[in-house]
Amino acid sequence: MTKAYEGPLSTKFIGEPSAIYDDAGDFWVVNFPRSITHHHTYGLLTPFFKGLTEGKLLATKCTNPECTENSTWLPPRADCPDCYARTEWVEVPTEGKIYAYTMLDYAGIGIEMETPYWQIDVEIEGVDTIFKGWLKQGKPVTGMPVRAEFRTNNPTHTILDICWVPK
Amino acid sequence: MIKFGKGNLRVPQWSRRVFMVAGGCTPFRKYFPEYKLEELVMMGYKMMLEDNDLKLSPKEIKDQIQYCAYGEFADHFQDQLLCEAKIHDYLGLEPLWNNGIKTGGATGGAAVLNGAMAVASGYADTVLVCGWERMDEVDTRTGNFYISTAACKDFETRMGRIYSSYYAPMANRFAEAYNLSEVTRAKVAVKNRGYAMSNPNAQQPGRHTVEEVLESRMSAYPLRFLECCAMTAGSASVLLCNEEMAYKLSDHPVELFMAGGTHTLRVADRRHMEIPLLPNEEPGMYDELLKDSGRWPGFESFLAARFAAYLAYRMAGIHDPLEELDLVELHDAFTISDIQTYGDIGLRPYGQEPDYIESGDAYFEGKCPSNLSGGLLGTMHAVGATGIWQAAEVLWQLQGKYDKFHGAEKWWKRAGKEKPADWKSLQVKDPKQGLWISHAGVGSHVTCGILRKAW
Ligand SMILES: [Zn+2]
Repeated sequence: MTKAYEGPLSTKFIGEPSAIYDDAGDFWVVNFPRSITHHHTYGLLTPFFKGLTEGKLLATKCTNPECTENSTWLPPRADCPDCYARTEWVEVPTEGKIYAYTMLDYAGIGIEMETPYWQIDVEIEGVDTIFKGWLKQGKPVTGMPVRAEFRTNNPTHTILDICWVPK
Repeated sequence: MIKFGKGNLRVPQWSRRVFMVAGGCTPFRKYFPEYKLEELVMMGYKMMLEDNDLKLSPKEIKDQIQYCAYGEFADHFQDQLLCEAKIHDYLGLEPLWNNGIKTGGATGGAAVLNGAMAVASGYADTVLVCGWERMDEVDTRTGNFYISTAACKDFETRMGRIYSSYYAPMANRFAEAYNLSEVTRAKVAVKNRGYAMSNPNAQQPGRHTVEEVLESRMSAYPLRFLECCAMTAGSASVLLCNEEMAYKLSDHPVELFMAGGTHTLRVADRRHMEIPLLPNEEPGMYDELLKDSGRWPGFESFLAARFAAYLAYRMAGIHDPLEELDLVELHDAFTISDIQTYGDIGLRPYGQEPDYIESGDAYFEGKCPSNLSGGLLGTMHAVGATGIWQAAEVLWQLQGKYDKFHGAEKWWKRAGKEKPADWKSLQVKDPKQGLWISHAGVGSHVTCGILRKAW
């Protein structure tokens, strides 16, 4: 025997009437509003983001003697894609050279820098990849030396805690 | 450096030959509020069934389908998980198996490749490949942010929140490394938007000048608005078959060869590597070039596109693409990515990409015209549908049906447009084979499909 479930005997509508667009008359278009927060983990890469708040640029390196590449990765990765060994953290120079750049004028919604701004790709000695960032001041030229600045005060805890300035 | 293992370079081989017999699409628009998504999909699907001179009735063809490959780029845009199930149900194709395919901008191409695998393996004799995107539920800047979530969310998305800003650094790098002028870039936009004038389904056709392109609003330097594709609502379908069914359905089937390649989503992670050579390239021919630019693919080229072409040309027995292909449809989401691809797929050797435009080869009546459909710049980028629609455009060219699908009053009327008095046919004269490229990410996934006349 199932015990009778005592539910409500009446229900009140607590939603909001949606905005409606009926411009053409033959079809309705309604709004589906929402506000969403994702709880996103940095997982094994947390030391990298923590490093930024301490003014350090941390990459990962595969030190497996069996590995054919032993690449140094920035952005870092916890596992080497060549040999699947766990990588190790290494501090890399906080200066480099501009490999490529763009000036961002029309940004997508939620942009956290004032536009327009210069986005740059930086080659760093000893790093096998080309690290993307933004230039806080100055005008970029390919090959231009730059140094990193860190947002150690009031950090965002995101990749935006590092930016670059002309060296 | 990425080093290939021996097995990695095996050239794909279908277990059974694969054919394409029919295509369909909707008109493409920025906003399409008159129809729900599934209604749009039905429109393109019915065009495929009804208007391709197939020898069985639409109902008889429906009764032959055994498998469906569905392309949809982003659940964000549809705001509907498992949209494939809704579409499949709406098309009345249950309980046949379907797979939802997602490979970013290459979703359409990937769906065709998946459908081809089903035919080649023997899972099915008749396969519907269908894709869609409805990018008109959110405003443009939100749409740009959604698309940028197809960049690395930890390291890249926050910078720009718009995809043009991930291609723009490549444009600057390419300009310096390979002497590309902004005028050549602008010519790509002028060409493709101009060809879109002949396409009744085109979203942004226009007879622009190079000056207009270069004076249009900046998106991310040096890429301007007229050099970037738009967001689209629409759908496209093609029908794939095994040999027996292809000839049963059509007197003009085309044979399909297809392969794909991939590379890191983060441009940052492109390590230097050796260039995989196309059949007509010689070892050592890029030594000089690499001495200057230092790394390959760097920001100049796409490993995924090169690898897809590397496999597809060998699969189809193509030696010199420029000589052997009669037309191509490339993924011109941005003028620069279009130009970068010319080297990847061997329309020119690396370093000489701009010459494909400047020589006139890329134009109608040129040696190997590209994007006569209007491309993504002029006609559409309803992402999940794009690579499927491109295939349909190549199919129709090979079948000699460019005019049928672009010139007939019926299609202009369906699109709610007046056919221009100066409408011009872009039918290539007696083409034998064509190629289309479907491209994702900042070169994360690329498919290379080759369609060959088979009658
Ligand atoms: Zn390793």
